[in-house]
Amino acid sequence: MSAASNGRTATRERVTTWTGQGIPRKEDDRLVQGEGSFIDDMGMQGQGYAWFVRSPHAHARIVSIDVSPALALDGVYAVLTGEEAKSMCQEPFFRIAPGAASHIEEWPLAVGKVRYQGDAVAVVLADTRENARDAAELIEIEYDPLPAVVDGVEAAESSAPILHEEAGTNVAWNGVFNYGDIDWALENADHVVKIDRLHFHRFSSTPIEAAGAVVDWDVGSGVVTIHTNHQMPMFAAMFMGPTLGVPINKFSFSSRDIGGAFGTKIGFYPQLAALALLSKKAGRPVKWTEYRTENLLSSTHGNERTFLDIEVPVMADGTILGFKTRAYDDVGAYLHYEPLGGVIWSQVLPGCYKLKHIKVDYSATLTNKCPVSPNRGYSRMQHLWLIERIVDTVARELGFDPIELRKLNFVQPEDYPYETPNGCVYDSGDLPRSLDMALELVEADYWRARQKELGKGKGKRIGIGVGSTLDSGTNNFGQARIINPELPFSGNGEAAIAKLDLYGEVNVNLGTSPQGQGHETTAAQVAADILNVSPDKVTVSIGFEQANNSYIGFSGTYASQFAVTGLGAVMGAAQKLRDEILEVGAYALGLSKDEVELSDGVCVSKNDPSKSIPFIGIANLVYTNNAVLTPELREKVSLTCRYVYTPPFQVPDTDRKWGNLTLTYASQIHACVVEVDEETGEVKILAYAAVDDCGRRINPAIVEGQVHGAAGLGIAAALYESFDYDEDGQLMQPSFYEYHVGTALDIPHIRTSYIESPSPFTPNGAKGMGEGGGGALHAVCNAIQDTLDKDDAIVYDSHNSWERVYDLLKSGERQAPRGVSVLSRVSGS
Amino acid sequence: MLLKSVEYVRPDSVAQAIEILNSNEGAALLAGGQSLVNILKHRVASVDVLVDIATLEELRFVESRPDGSIEIGACITYDELDHSELIHSSHEMIAWVASHIEDQQIRNRGTIGGNCCLSDPTNNFPPLLVAMDATMNIQSSSGMRQVRAEEFFKGYLMTAIQPGEILKSITVPPVPADVGIGYVSLSVGEDSKAIVRSSAWVKLNGVVQEARVVLARVSPIPVRYQPMEEALRGSSATPEDIARAASVIGSDFEPVADSHGSSEYRREMARVVAKRAVLEAVEKVRGEGGSK
Repeated sequence: MSAASNGRTATRERVTTWTGQGIPRKEDDRLVQGEGSFIDDMGMQGQGYAWFVRSPHAHARIVSIDVSPALALDGVYAVLTGEEAKSMCQEPFFRIAPGAASHIEEWPLAVGKVRYQGDAVAVVLADTRENARDAAELIEIEYDPLPAVVDGVEAAESSAPILHEEAGTNVAWNGVFNYGDIDWALENADHVVKIDRLHFHRFSSTPIEAAGAVVDWDVGSGVVTIHTNHQMPMFAAMFMGPTLGVPINKFSFSSRDIGGAFGTKIGFYPQLAALALLSKKAGRPVKWTEYRTENLLSSTHGNERTFLDIEVPVMADGTILGFKTRAYDDVGAYLHYEPLGGVIWSQVLPGCYKLKHIKVDYSATLTNKCPVSPNRGYSRMQHLWLIERIVDTVARELGFDPIELRKLNFVQPEDYPYETPNGCVYDSGDLPRSLDMALELVEADYWRARQKELGKGKGKRIGIGVGSTLDSGTNNFGQARIINPELPFSGNGEAAIAKLDLYGEVNVNLGTSPQGQGHETTAAQVAADILNVSPDKVTVSIGFEQANNSYIGFSGTYASQFAVTGLGAVMGAAQKLRDEILEVGAYALGLSKDEVELSDGVCVSKNDPSKSIPFIGIANLVYTNNAVLTPELREKVSLTCRYVYTPPFQVPDTDRKWGNLTLTYASQIHACVVEVDEETGEVKILAYAAVDDCGRRINPAIVEGQVHGAAGLGIAAALYESFDYDEDGQLMQPSFYEYHVGTALDIPHIRTSYIESPSPFTPNGAKGMGEGGGGALHAVCNAIQDTLDKDDAIVYDSHNSWERVYDLLKSGERQAPRGVSVLSRVSGS
Repeated sequence: MLLKSVEYVRPDSVAQAIEILNSNEGAALLAGGQSLVNILKHRVASVDVLVDIATLEELRFVESRPDGSIEIGACITYDELDHSELIHSSHEMIAWVASHIEDQQIRNRGTIGGNCCLSDPTNNFPPLLVAMDATMNIQSSSGMRQVRAEEFFKGYLMTAIQPGEILKSITVPPVPADVGIGYVSLSVGEDSKAIVRSSAWVKLNGVVQEARVVLARVSPIPVRYQPMEEALRGSSATPEDIARAASVIGSDFEPVADSHGSSEYRREMARVVAKRAVLEAVEKVRGEGGSK
């Protein structure tokens, strides 16, 4: 495939295959014309508006709540408090963690204590949104403030205040991941590079549309209807069902267009449960639209991770043998998806490199901060950032060229399929070539020369950095058993239905809940190829409806997997439908099945094109004229074909923490040129490039869009976006005044290119992509590092505000600790 | 309600607006609403009556005076400033600053008078108007009075405006060819609030005849830093001279600390932006055609 097909110019003329074409997205007509249908566009007759009452304290005992002043206000329908919500529930939310943390009880609203600023204490329902908010202000809550812990490492210390007394510890999970023989490697390496501490900061994606729902608990039927922009609704149903005492088939979840999610719309099932109870109590539908500050304060943050005592054995030729570290994941106040993050990073244990000896002592700790749950690049991004910082620091301290050092240690093209020390199988790729392409795109040679010319001390410095990263996709949920061997999860999959409708229309529906990934388009492309029609003739149902769409427990849009699982399901369903159409068509034409084929919505004889029957005729025979069919055919054909794609996984070995944890490994290489202002620490990006290899691309334009999005997310996180708490646990960035979201004004032009290394393990050669593995964070941090002097400290944080960069620039002359040391056993390093 | 319930009036004249202010202590003037409405939304201030003066013709003009100064009505929006040929031809920097405030939607609504009367330390116009030695024309029932911009800003969200007074217009002196104006902000991202900011006005005739250097965000109001102005006076305004002059900016401020910068960082950056603002001003005079 040539780069020319990357453009959006492809017309809907006859082409060999629709798969692989960058056709315009089916979704865009309605979206760009403002005709999308988002959660705040939904409503129900008689609905009230909900407003959550949230804690101003990071940690406090709830002494008393007086809701009577709120209830006295005209137009207020009901108020639900934590205690009352608990009394309406059957049991606390499902707990993933084993051991002490398995005793943690989380209910739809806080009970007895609040554990972070923004913890929901009560929820008010009123005739208008504003009235609900006014009423919420009238509720009198007496708190008895407690000391807060806001640092993930301190939280693990015995002196730290305990968030959940029933657990008796803030350590939600601990696991030692130990592969090869790191002690041997550290004893026998020519050099050992030691890094004191690296910190991956807390940030989040900020979807344009915050969370929201319209919820109705119909007491008569027992059906709980939930329109929401949750991105994994049936996962939410599995969490909510046992707590609310509602069977799955009494939920009716649905979504339409979703204005972005990025993982951050997986964790808000407690809010949905509270709304359901509020509806039950008030006897009317409940509408909730999350406010921006509410979203920043209490919806979902990304994982914040601190790495301590990193030791890296390196041979004289630059071969990096591995590393060891202690990692502390600060997961916030409640475990919404956690501690699954505690294993998910190990999908990319050695990063892009052939590291053999790795030991990570990992702890997930609870702090008085907003709970974390998946955020684009979830858990792997943090670990990949660590590895990229390690590689760059090794290069710097031992005098290697960071590019050559990467190439030396990369998994090489001939190594695939490559088994990592923990049993994951990297499917395909060409990292050295991707790196060369990225360097060429960013014009690294030119900038290297400019950098030398400019030098240091003249006001501006230039730095060049690369980030090599992996986007592991299609989880094996069996890895959850490494966290808790009792968990009944393994494998993965997705469902789809392909249907010929009453007048011969082709319809596909998905188990996924897309949030901008273009599923309607790519699903139509692959179905079009199988059914031999134009994608224009394939209608893909918008959004998700529990009643109509097929699903399994893993259904949803998350974790870089749609191209494999979602499209795998669509392909399977379309093939079944194709078979049925051919069968009915052949019968109608008096031919055998292998004598007919599909062409542009018609089943036609291969030998005699004058003999044909259109899809509408096929539909007629099956739906409204079936007496002419044979009984066998009537029995066999339904024209409604469900298929569940499942990847070929096995249950991992939980004792050894060993097994294939993900099916595909897309790679991305980012290259970045920065200019740093010596007087202020300001960082400006002068050039930026990303090379993506996600196997066979179904729609190159959509892939490119995802590459841009992931790069933008990482650039903004590295330079602008950070959630910080003061020592009392108050969030310092509760609005967009303080939390500067990177916008089109800030994100530089991004040059992109691609390699296609088809995955041997997937039905279509595609790999999941879109999360991007935090490539931009790695590249920007490494580029900033490249501007610093040998005596300066290393870039130790993934977030680099102007002040932090300024301090790094001054660290040498201030003789600040560098944070790194080298032990060498050979001379002349 | 999203906003607590308030009364809303739209007077026909400035005089009538003043009458309403005088008869109601809880009345507040509403112009573009870009700050006040947010403050009300966050419920950090409460107002009984909103007096909407945004469309009063008396407050919506830009006129040049025979001496080359211009008078800008308080309710002229940022976007109008940016699209005024008059401003561009005589006071370019005002248009430039207006065009860099936040985003287009805000520029369509926000007014220069509102920007000044709020006296938020992050606002864009106060330091520029102090540097340009503008005069604030204030109307009350007893007539007009003038206050120099330097005396106008009194504290965080406080100005010289007294109860019953309205800022009617702002008079900005001419910018002759031997005068340059600089305006430099350090901010996180392209359209965010400044971490620290400086505006400089420099009259140059071979050597610096006179200079005004204003720092913003190191204290609640824009302040002229006279030791630096004195250090500049009489110098040849080489980059070294300017850097030396900026180095006198000391630790006599206690700037706010927030998520974008510590107090110490802001203090150090004050030196940098002041130096750059003066450099920009000097370059404008020495460059082609001088500054407006």
